[in-house]
This record gives sequence, C-alpha cells and structure tokens, in this order.
Amino acid sequence: MKVEYLAYADGDDKVNTAITAGNQPDLIMEGPERLVANWGAAGYMVDLADMLDDTDKKEINDVSAGVLSACTTADGKVYEYPLVMTAHCMAINLNAFKEAGADQYLDLENHTWTTENFIKAVEALYAKYGQTVGAVYCAGQGGDQGTRALVNNLYGGTYTNADHTAYTWDDANNVKALETLLGMDGIDFDASLAGGDEIAKFYQGALKMAFCWNIAQQLDPNGAGTGAEKTVTGDDIVFMSFPSETGASQLQGGIWGFGIFDKGDAAKVEAAKKFIKYMCDSEHTVDAVKTANYFAVRTTAEGTDLSGIWADNAIMAEYTKLMPYLGDYYQVTKGWAAQRTEWWTMLQEIGQGADISSTIATRMGNANAAAK
Amino acid sequence: MKINSGRTKAYKVISIVILVILALLFLFPLYWIVTGAFKPAQDIYAQEPVWWPTEWVTKNFDALFKKRTAPLWELAVPFSSYFTADNSPVFFSVGPTVPAAFRWLVNTVFMAVVAMILTCITAAMAGYALAKKRFVGRTIIFSLIVCAMALPKQVILIPLLKEMAALKLINNIWSVIFPTVGWPFGVFLMKQFSESIPGEILEAARVDGSSELRTFTTIVVPIVKPGIGALAIFTFINSWNDYFMQLIMLSSNSNFTIALGIATLQAETSIDMGLLMAGAALASIPIIVVFLVFQKYFTQGITMGAVKG
Amino acid sequence: MAKQPKQSMSRALQRRENINGYLFMLPSLIFFVGFVIIPMFMCIFMSLTDANMRDQALPHFIGIKNFVDLWKDEDFLGALKNTFLIVVVSVPTVCAFSLWVASAIYKLKSPVLSAFRCIFYLPVVTGSVAVTVVWKWMYDNYNGILNTALKGAGLIEKNINFLGTPGIAIWCIIIILFTTSVGQPIVLYVSALGNVDQSLVEAAEVDGANHMQVFWKIKWPQIMPTTLYILVITTINSFQCFALIQLLTSGGSDTDTVMFRIYWTAFKLTEQQGHFGYANAMGVVLAIFIAILSAVQFRLAREK
Repeated sequence: MKVEYLAYADGDDKVNTAITAGNQPDLIMEGPERLVANWGAAGYMVDLADMLDDTDKKEINDVSAGVLSACTTADGKVYEYPLVMTAHCMAINLNAFKEAGADQYLDLENHTWTTENFIKAVEALYAKYGQTVGAVYCAGQGGDQGTRALVNNLYGGTYTNADHTAYTWDDANNVKALETLLGMDGIDFDASLAGGDEIAKFYQGALKMAFCWNIAQQLDPNGAGTGAEKTVTGDDIVFMSFPSETGASQLQGGIWGFGIFDKGDAAKVEAAKKFIKYMCDSEHTVDAVKTANYFAVRTTAEGTDLSGIWADNAIMAEYTKLMPYLGDYYQVTKGWAAQRTEWWTMLQEIGQGADISSTIATRMGNANAAAK
Repeated sequence: MKINSGRTKAYKVISIVILVILALLFLFPLYWIVTGAFKPAQDIYAQEPVWWPTEWVTKNFDALFKKRTAPLWELAVPFSSYFTADNSPVFFSVGPTVPAAFRWLVNTVFMAVVAMILTCITAAMAGYALAKKRFVGRTIIFSLIVCAMALPKQVILIPLLKEMAALKLINNIWSVIFPTVGWPFGVFLMKQFSESIPGEILEAARVDGSSELRTFTTIVVPIVKPGIGALAIFTFINSWNDYFMQLIMLSSNSNFTIALGIATLQAETSIDMGLLMAGAALASIPIIVVFLVFQKYFTQGITMGAVKG
Repeated sequence: MAKQPKQSMSRALQRRENINGYLFMLPSLIFFVGFVIIPMFMCIFMSLTDANMRDQALPHFIGIKNFVDLWKDEDFLGALKNTFLIVVVSVPTVCAFSLWVASAIYKLKSPVLSAFRCIFYLPVVTGSVAVTVVWKWMYDNYNGILNTALKGAGLIEKNINFLGTPGIAIWCIIIILFTTSVGQPIVLYVSALGNVDQSLVEAAEVDGANHMQVFWKIKWPQIMPTTLYILVITTINSFQCFALIQLLTSGGSDTDTVMFRIYWTAFKLTEQQGHFGYANAMGVVLAIFIAILSAVQFRLAREK
C-alpha cells in the first residue's frame, strides 16, 4: 500500500485533478466536508453503512452524537468511517497577556472567556503593544474554521441553518460580530495571512493570539519541534475556547476518518474495508488514535477501552475540557467547497471597508447558489 | 563640445551607480534565500529581520530531509501500466530509500534533461525542414506554430489532463516532459537558425549522393550547433521551472519535482520559513550553477536566434 | 522566400521534398499535434458544453451559454482586467528598462558586462517557486525585510500589508514578474546595440548629432527587429504568470487573473454545474485576446 500526504489547503485540488484523470486513490483519510458533502454527494465514494452495526453506533454516539450524523448523508449513506476528532479552538500568548495585564480576563481553569472580556483583553493588549495583536486572516481558505468560529460565537450567530441546507451569514448576530471586530484596534482583517501564516506569526510572538489552533498545535506549535505549549521565544501558550456572550461557545469540530473511492473493483473495496476496520475498530485503534494526536471518536473498539488513552498526557487530559463545547457539525452543507472561497473573499472585502450588509448579501448569495 | 563630454561623463558615472544599486537589488532575493536557509529559528522568527545569520546552522536542511522519504529512483517500463491488471506500472529498477527532497531533485534533473534532449532533436529536425524543404503545407504549419507559441498552458489545462489520463501517463514524469517537447518555441528558434544554412552546400551534398539523414547529421547539425546549444539551455531552464505543468500532472510525493515539493511544503498548515528557504536553495542553486557554467553559450544562443528573427 | 522558381521544380522533386519534409517534421509534429493542437481543439469544443468533473458521459452542447455567463461574471471580468493590467504595465516597462540597462552596459569591459548580464538574468534562472517563496517573506507585513528597510529609511511609518491590500498587491506581483522578465531582453539588447553599424553612428556624430539624435535616428531603427521580438516574448511571459498568483494571494486582494481563475474553476469550484466547460470558455476568451494583442503588436511594429 502506498501512502501519500496531501496538504489540507490544496489537497482537494490534488484529489480533484486525480478524479478527473481517473487516478484517485483507493482509500483516503479526510473530513466529512469533503468525503460526505463533496465527493460522496457527487457519487465517487463507497457507502460504508454496512460496516456500522448497533454496537459501533452506540460506541460512537456515547462520545458525541454529532459524529455519525456528520459522516452520514441525508439519505442514510455513510461515506466516512470516523477515526479521530478534535475541537478547533484558539490560543493566547500568556506572557504577553500578563505583561499587558489582560490575563485577568481569562478563565484559565475552564479555558473560556466572554465576549466582553475578550474585547477588554484586546484593548489592554493594544494599549501595551500598540500593534495588531490578533488577525482575522483571510488570504485563502486555510484554517477558515477559526474565522468562522470567531465570528459566530462572538454574539451567537449561526453559519448555516439547522438542517444544513443554506448559509446564514447575514444573521444579525454575525453582522454585529463583524462590526465589532472591525471596530477593534488591535484586531486586523489581514488578507496576506492564511491559517498557517497566522500560526507562524503567533509562534513567532508577533501576534498575541491565534484563532487557528487545535490540540496538535498545542503539543507541537508550528510543527517546529521546539517544545509543547511554548512559542519560539519560550512564552507560554494557553489554548482557549472562542469568546462568546456566556462563555459557553460552540466549537468547530474536526472529524477525520476514512473513505473509499468507488472504482468498481469489489476486491479492492473489501481490502480497504478490512484496513479501515483494522485502523478504526480493533485493538490497534489505540495506536492509530495516539499517532494522530487527536481524540478517539468511540468509547471502545472491539473491547479495548479508548476512554483513558490520554490519561498519561497532561496536555491532552486538560484539552478534554473543551470537548463538551463541540458544536453543530455544519460542514456537510452542500456547496461547501464553493462557499469557502466566498467566505474568505467576503472577509477581505469587509476588511477593506466594503459595506458589510451588501457584501454579505452578495457573497452569501453566491454560496447559497452553490448549495442548491 | 567640452561641456557636452563633461555631461556625458557625469551621466556615465550616475548610470553606473544606479546600475550597481539595481544589481544589488536583483541579487538580494538570492542572498535572502541562501542566508535564510542557514539561519537558526530565532533569526527566522525575529521581530526585526536579521540581515546576517547570527550563527550558521544546517538545521533547516535537516528538517527538510527528515520530512519524508522516497526511493531515490523508480524506473518504470514506459506504458507498462496499460498491460497490468491494476493499472500500476511495472518497475525494472527501484533505488534505496532517501529523503524525498533528493528524489525530487532526481526527478527534476531527469525531467529537464530528457525534455532538453527530445526537444533539441525534434526541433532541430523540424526547424531544418521548415527552413529548407519546400513541402506542401509548410506555411500553414509554421503559422500554427507561431500562433501556439503565445498560448498560455492554462488554456489547455483540462483537455491535456484528460488526454494524459487516457494515455495512463498521469502522475508520471513523462506527462510533464511530453507537453514541454510539444511546445513550439524550439521549432521556431531552430527554423531561424536553419535559414542561414547555405543552399549550395545542401545541393552539393545531394549531388554527391549523400542521404537526407547523413546531410542532416554531417552538414546541418554542425552549422546550427550554437542554436541547439541555446535551445538546450533554454529548454532545461524552462522545464526546470515549469511549475504549472508539474502541479497539474504530478500528484504523489515520490513523483514530485523540487519546485512542486517546495510549493507543497508552503501549502501545509504551519509555515517554517527556514525550511522553505532551505527548499528554495536546493531548488535554485543547482540550476544557477548550470547557468553560470554555460552562460556564454546561452547568451550567444539567444541573441543569434532573435537577431535572425 | 516562398516565391522561388517553383515552376522549375519537377513533380518528382516536389514529391521528394514533401516526403522528406514531413519525415523531418514527424517527430516534432507528434508532440506538437498530440499535446498542443489536439488539446486546443478539445478546449474549444468543451467551452461550448456543460462538461464537468462529475459526469464521465458525453457533456451536453449548450452553444455559447458559457460565454454569455462569463460576460456577466464580475469575478471573471475582474480577473480579465487584472490580466490586462499586468500585461499593459509589464511589457512596456520591461522593454524600456532593459533597453536602458543594455545601453548603459554594452560598451563596458567584457567581464563587467557579463557580470551585469548574469545578475539581471539570475531571477529567471532561480525559478518561479523559489522566487515567489522568498518574495513572500520579504513582503511580510509583520517582519518582512522590505517593511523594515522602508521604515529604516524613514519612508513609511507603519508597516504596509503589501500582499493583503487590494491595489497594492497586484503591483507587488508585477514587480516580481518584472524582475523575472528583464533578463532575456537585456541580453538581446546588448548584442543588438553591439551590432549597430558604427560607420553610420560616426557619420551622424560628425554631422553634429547629439546622443539622443544618434540613438533615435540611427540606433533605434536598427534594433527594431529585436524590440519586436522582445515585445512578443515579454507578452507571452506576462500571460504565463501563474505561480506568483497561486502561491502569494490565491487570487485574493484583487490579484485574480484569468490564468489562475481557470485553474481555480476547474479544480476548486467543482460543485458548480458545468465547471469544466466554463473554465475552458475562459481559456478560449483568453486565447482570443492574446491573438488580438499579438496581431496588433505585429502590425504596429511593421508600420514603424
């Protein structure tokens, strides 16, 4: 078996060129937004529903009810067999917050904060440093879960409607959030950064907070191998939930699992299913989850208890505090790939001073046209 | 008269000063790549850019080489995937496992050299025919070639991809080589060179009973040699840098070229400038050395091609 | 040249020329027809259909609908505008700049001359990806060297977000394109100026012509063929600019070009109905504009 690594930012272009050429892989590890909503909906994937019996479903639902529904289409086809999940969050540079006296606004015990405190903290940081301390990055789609979660949570807006059929960016709470962010000194809509650049700037110490964060970053910031929870200069990094009015936010989940491309070869599908079973539901699942540095999507795998696998890792154990805040997995809404381009383009335009409501209307209109 | 020459002199001095400044500006990106590749993390991430590495380290290269591995070479039997059950090619030789960046270099060199050789042979022959053979349809073919020269490759991207898929060449270095060879600039250039071949020599050779192929190899090739030299270097550099074709056609790690490899590193979620600079240095230094070694032929070649155009 | 004494060419001779000519053309034609001409026609065909990635079956013929839609697609029109901005700005500046550099260095001593020539050629050789990656870092709005240098020189007070500001980003891209475009024209002009007939220049100087007059009246007409050639290759070069857009801005900050948009439509916006046909229609539009531009250039050059 050959393994290929794809970058998330252009991984889908790569798979799309491969599909065009009839050269797609047999097996792919990805998230539901692509496996289910894009390639699954387009009929490229094999239905894996027969792999999930009631025990499996219970084991997965006991961790989080949202996982299975994210992996399943409206008509009950399962295009992704989930392996791991995480909650996307944000991070702050604790040393900088302390220096600016902004650490008083953080609930370090629960890793949460309110919108009010977020605004105060940014004010304090800006007063201290006099420059951009947090960037609403929008150079491309990389890491856009961060900007979505930030905008939605600030005043409790939604991204899509409840049955995932249309985008709801013009929600008054989103507009209010965008206006607030635009008006804050120290927050900059930066069209030269994508998620990865923002992380690098945060790791470097230029930005005092990062909106594109998760447990893998916490364990190895910027993938640089210079120690967990530290910036390059040795400042402490603390992961935080996104600010919201109550502090109890709706975090974006990341779910990764396997899908099988339907190339008409039953023997290969069987082999791929065996591999999935081996990785996701056997005594080897522990190793698979630990290698991925994320959390298991099920309580037990064929009798092996998965709930305590991170007990020996203080950072992972601490991070589980965020998992209850996992929100709606709306990434399976149709037109997902198209709307991502609309979203970051919209942020760029708003950041440049375009009229907020008309810009949202146009871009959301395009996204909804793609969702039909 | 005196005033005039004084003014000329001042103008000359000023223009040399400006030129030197410009030259330094043109050199700067390369300087920034090379120093960046050897800077330690604290220099790379420093709030104020560091002009000269505080310490020269090879850590960035270590990281680049550590990232992924691939076999040093994998020579597939051409078109073999047509005949196997699972459409995977048959390899007659697979090398030892090395850091993927080395494999990318090997791929790139292979691609550039093969594209260069094929282009030189086909273009020299076609250029000679277009310049010296009065065959029917020659004007039409030549105008097609001139038209196609200006066409950006993005225009034919989707059909080309489909075609390569039908030929089962996708994700194969040959799928980048073939369109490069097909690109008509080489034929155009070689036609300009071949115009200068004196008709009498060709006629004399024919009277002597020399075969067409013999005439081509013994008479035509020596005359157009500078052109072939220029085309060789031109194709080599172009093919080395043809990022777009590589991006479309190559999808797996072990088939990447160095340019594509660097671009992929940049697209990954976290960004390490030191690593990227190490990659950029690895991608550019070999080709710069090739250029400096051959630059005399190169500058001769491109000028001759143009002057005759 | 085509007007050679054809009547004297016997039919047997003509047949031999045909056979030999095509035999010599054959290897090149296989590649040219196979990988340029056939895709070109496929592109024209697909631009009239609703082809997409999803359906492997034959697409439907929809006439010129794609072109009508393109005409109303503001994002596409913006990309077209940027494409032209790049070409219209970079072609004349590259020509003028390289002519100036060439005329300043062509009389220098040989090692100095070739050093300058090499340096101006280096960005071409370095390769678009390596060049792009390093410029991205230099343009950085937090700790880029360019912002530091400009601040150090007192030209700016606050960091400029070069790649994140519409109206600035496209010029940043044009600058990079410029540095990777002037190499070849300089080499060409140096040799063209070196080949100018010196006796004419001297005769003009004896007649009391000043430098400017000598240049415009004597040298300029003689280097005209080179100028034409440079115009053509620079135009081609400017239209090929893809890596810069993809790696620096993904078409954001008002830097989208048609070349990039074709790629984006084909492989990112795969949910759009008939996106392959649509992308190919963009390709056809671009090709038509390039053809017109080339024709205009040739005409202008010939009139002069």
